[in-house]
Amino acid sequence: MSMRFPLLLGIVILIAGLGLSMLLTDYHLRLLNLAVISAIAVIGLNFAFGYAGLISLGHAAFVGTGAYGVALLTTLLGWSPWLALPVAVAGTAIFAVLIGLPLLRLKGHYLALATLGLNVSFSMVAANWIELTGGTNGISRIPELQVAGHALADERSYLWFALAVLAVSAAVAGLIHASRHGRAMIAVRDDETAASMTGIDVTRVKIAAFVLSSIYAAVAGGLFACHMRFISPEDFSYAHSITYLAMLIVGGEGSIVGAILGALLLTFLPEWLRFLGSAYLAFFGVFVLAILVFLPSGLVGFRWPGSLRRDGRSKGPAMVAASKEVRP
Amino acid sequence: MSLLQATGIAKRYGGLTALSDVELSVGEDEFIAVIGPNGAGKSTLLNVLTGLVLPDKGRVLLEGRDMTRAAAHKRVRAGLGRTFQHGRPFARLSVLENVMAGAAIRSRRSEAELRKRAMTVLDQMGLAADAQAAIGSLSYGRRRMVEMCRALACEPRVLLLDEPAAGLNSAEVDQLADRLSDLRAKHRLAIVLIEHNMGMVMRLAQRIVVLNFGCKIAEGTPSEIQRDPAVLSAYLGEGHRHAGV
Repeated sequence: MSMRFPLLLGIVILIAGLGLSMLLTDYHLRLLNLAVISAIAVIGLNFAFGYAGLISLGHAAFVGTGAYGVALLTTLLGWSPWLALPVAVAGTAIFAVLIGLPLLRLKGHYLALATLGLNVSFSMVAANWIELTGGTNGISRIPELQVAGHALADERSYLWFALAVLAVSAAVAGLIHASRHGRAMIAVRDDETAASMTGIDVTRVKIAAFVLSSIYAAVAGGLFACHMRFISPEDFSYAHSITYLAMLIVGGEGSIVGAILGALLLTFLPEWLRFLGSAYLAFFGVFVLAILVFLPSGLVGFRWPGSLRRDGRSKGPAMVAASKEVRP
Repeated sequence: MSLLQATGIAKRYGGLTALSDVELSVGEDEFIAVIGPNGAGKSTLLNVLTGLVLPDKGRVLLEGRDMTRAAAHKRVRAGLGRTFQHGRPFARLSVLENVMAGAAIRSRRSEAELRKRAMTVLDQMGLAADAQAAIGSLSYGRRRMVEMCRALACEPRVLLLDEPAAGLNSAEVDQLADRLSDLRAKHRLAIVLIEHNMGMVMRLAQRIVVLNFGCKIAEGTPSEIQRDPAVLSAYLGEGHRHAGV
């Protein structure tokens, strides 16, 4: 991947989003805002799961840490959201280092279970530490973001801001993917032993991927808090972690474009299928299963049947060349 | 002073003695082969040298520095390279990216420099045309060459090769042997080769170490080893003198 790709990706996100922001109704703009915020979180999850192969079912806990950080700093201490956001993100990163050091000694299913436990613990603390978090009543009256004296109070102007953050997040993720750090993460997922024999410090790379993913989650959480202006423990339950993972898998794990597509689709799908009522969950299960069976590399792996046929034809010469190589 | 030295290495797995009191010393530029029947402890010795397995007893020195308990990636950064028995390139990276991952061993190298170094190694090993290829599209032999390139990109002073000829056809084995002699000539590289292909071992090795049941039973030049009675009985059994008559 060249260095041009991340820049191009950012520009495409901005143009597509600006176009949509002019066309959609307020209700759909609200959904799009939520989708954009989820997309930032899922791009983060892609570092841990898509690149480094760390199965995290606790991503919502880091989104929650960022959101509660912003909410508490602005409402309790009266900080400006612009100051609260970076401080909350930095705090979440430190939290991720402390929790990652013991947790990342676990592998595969054990790591999944431990991160799930982390998410459940987060919800319990948020719901029961009533003096600080307001318990299940949550925290309300989070101040809105102001840009040059203009409050980002309506859905459209908030969307513009969220799109800009998404574009930068996606471009930075693209740059990391194309760098030695991205390669090291992918190497660790492919084969830890071979990675260590390539001079890669496996533990360090895993922690870096985990912390990077928590930073993206915290940014998403901060944006969520400033957008909704009200948060409660329910917004960060483990069910949301599973949704983030589903978004990444449906979109295409290991792909930034896939992370964005998955977040968009799984935010709008429940609305489009509202007529199904509670049968939606059954549909959702079958839908994810179908994706896993027919598009194992997610939506980004989709090819039009026409191009499949062209690929089929071009396989002929390649197979001849391969057979020559086997018997020189 | 020897480049890589292992003294008194012992390793047990439960009741099984994988290695007992094994010595190995590799000098600058030396080409050493480690041979022995299946289960003799060759791969365990390699794992002890590279830090994937910690020995119960003994010491591993790399250029005089004690590395017995050092993590694998630290040994690689100190000049120890290794390939695996069946080849383990990173499947989700391209050929070039695999080798670039190796070249990133020294930090502060720019992306362009990593690319240039990786291309130089691929060129030397005859893989430059496949630089952009996916690992899955390569033949087994070429995949193993990618792994070798990746190890070389780490700029090792000692390269440990775990059965590099296994699964290759005879033309590929000859090509591999040529490349290995070339490499040593060009890079002042010491090589430790674990191999069952005796033709290749006898052609390349300056010194051969023979293991059996975790013990070193012989060490010497290829012609000495071919006449060694302990080696013959390990490979052919006690009755071999009568077998041919």
